[in-house]
Amino acid sequence: MSELSELHRDALCELFNLGVGRAAHSLSQMVRDEIELSAPFVELIQPSEVSAALIGSEFRELSLVSIDFDGPFVSKAILLFPERNALIILSNMLDPDLTPEEVSEFEQEAMCEIGNVILNACMSALADEFGVELHGGLPEHSFSDTDSLPILAASNDEHLILLLQIQLTMRQRLVQGHLVFLLSVSSLQDLRDCLDAYLDRLGIH
Amino acid sequence: MDIELGTQLIDSLRVGLILLDHAGRVISWNGWMKRHSGLSLADVSSRRLDELFPEIVGTRLESSISDTLRFKLSSMLAPSLNPNVLPLYHNPGDRKLKQRMQQLIYISPLRHEHCACLIQIHDMTAAMRRERRLRAQSTQLIETSYQDALTGVGNRRRFDQDLAQRFRQAKDKQRPIAMLMIDVDSFKAYNDHFGHQGGDQCLIQVARALQEALRRDGDRVSRYGGEEFALLLAETDREAAVAIAERLRLAVEQLNIPHPAAPALGRVSVSIGISAMIPSEEQLCYILVAQADLALYSAKDAGRNRCMWYDPESGAARPLSARIADSERTGSSESHES
Repeated sequence: MSELSELHRDALCELFNLGVGRAAHSLSQMVRDEIELSAPFVELIQPSEVSAALIGSEFRELSLVSIDFDGPFVSKAILLFPERNALIILSNMLDPDLTPEEVSEFEQEAMCEIGNVILNACMSALADEFGVELHGGLPEHSFSDTDSLPILAASNDEHLILLLQIQLTMRQRLVQGHLVFLLSVSSLQDLRDCLDAYLDRLGIH
Repeated sequence: MDIELGTQLIDSLRVGLILLDHAGRVISWNGWMKRHSGLSLADVSSRRLDELFPEIVGTRLESSISDTLRFKLSSMLAPSLNPNVLPLYHNPGDRKLKQRMQQLIYISPLRHEHCACLIQIHDMTAAMRRERRLRAQSTQLIETSYQDALTGVGNRRRFDQDLAQRFRQAKDKQRPIAMLMIDVDSFKAYNDHFGHQGGDQCLIQVARALQEALRRDGDRVSRYGGEEFALLLAETDREAAVAIAERLRLAVEQLNIPHPAAPALGRVSVSIGISAMIPSEEQLCYILVAQADLALYSAKDAGRNRCMWYDPESGAARPLSARIADSERTGSSESHES
């Protein structure tokens, strides 16, 4: 039950790729500068594997933007950046002369919006291609360390995690981030149904 | 709750509320919106925001509204990334000055037969102003925390940070970096003779002379501790560093500050240890300090008021060649890298 076929995974990659492309376009417009987002790599993991799969031990402080989605599937989407990377993105977007240390808590709002743009772009690509409605809440921003990720507290064996690794390139700087979707096991079935219908429509079986 | 009360409540809120129908047309526009936009509900009713404000076409506000109407997604627009999206004004007077309100905007979908989208607008003008002021203050405080209180040159913290940063840059780019460790000769005797206040005045003059003798922007003297000063020189090889050291030594000597307790010269002087290298991958920045230190102590042992450089081949310090000392004394210019 807790698996996705190769075909499903390819389709998800494709769809998220579409979303990430839209996100890059919106972000570039916002900062009037070229921002590239890499095609994401998608894997499905257990909640207990999140910490190990995330970024690695050198980055313990994380900047998180989460949005709850209500629809046929997906309950929570989280965009994770190592805190230092998040501050680099912000200082670049707001004022290239700012050092990451000078980017204040106040600019959490800006981080929230960046997460909002990326997550919404991905979800709207899914909603669009699947022909479904995904009711999205307002984004929330927080800082956390890898040990106390809220995603782990909220999840249990009933949940699965769709992990996407994305890279953001801005002014020749590469910034690594992760996109995490927390799915309930039953949601996974719904996601698979949506993917099947989508693949059927494309004539792929 | 009756409709009349509901309307009163919405009009009393200190936040802008706009309701749009499924086609994106304005259904509701509260009192706050009227106050800050100068437009009443009658002016805007049944019209789309992009008709009312053509300037939002192509902005994130427009695409967020369309995401909400089309996909039921919520969005937030931070003031720092979307400055002054809508023509709203904090005070009526700001309109004449064309100073728009700083806005934080939330856009979310509604599950209702007629209403599809709620837009909330917060006035962040005061918060942004406070933020700017705090940042200006903190920049000034950071500046102060890197300054030596007595002499006004950089302090040890400044030096440690510069060292780590410039050493890393030199390593990354594989470019030369040099360091000078400068110590006021027989300073304890000077203090004993003139008292601590006299010693302080001496340090202030020496620090100023050292800083003023530097010709390149970005080169800065830091007080390393007590009567010791340190100087980092990016993009500078040994030969150039040695020439600069000799110029600094002469600049202090030429201050002509009497030093009765230093019988050899009779005035205040400095000894300088020089180290220079292109750092290899495995070298740590402290090695630059250790080498300059070693050269400095050799200069002290050799009789003070002189410069010596660390020779990595022999692992010992060497005196300046006569040529460099002569050219500095006659004032010929040097480039930082030869």
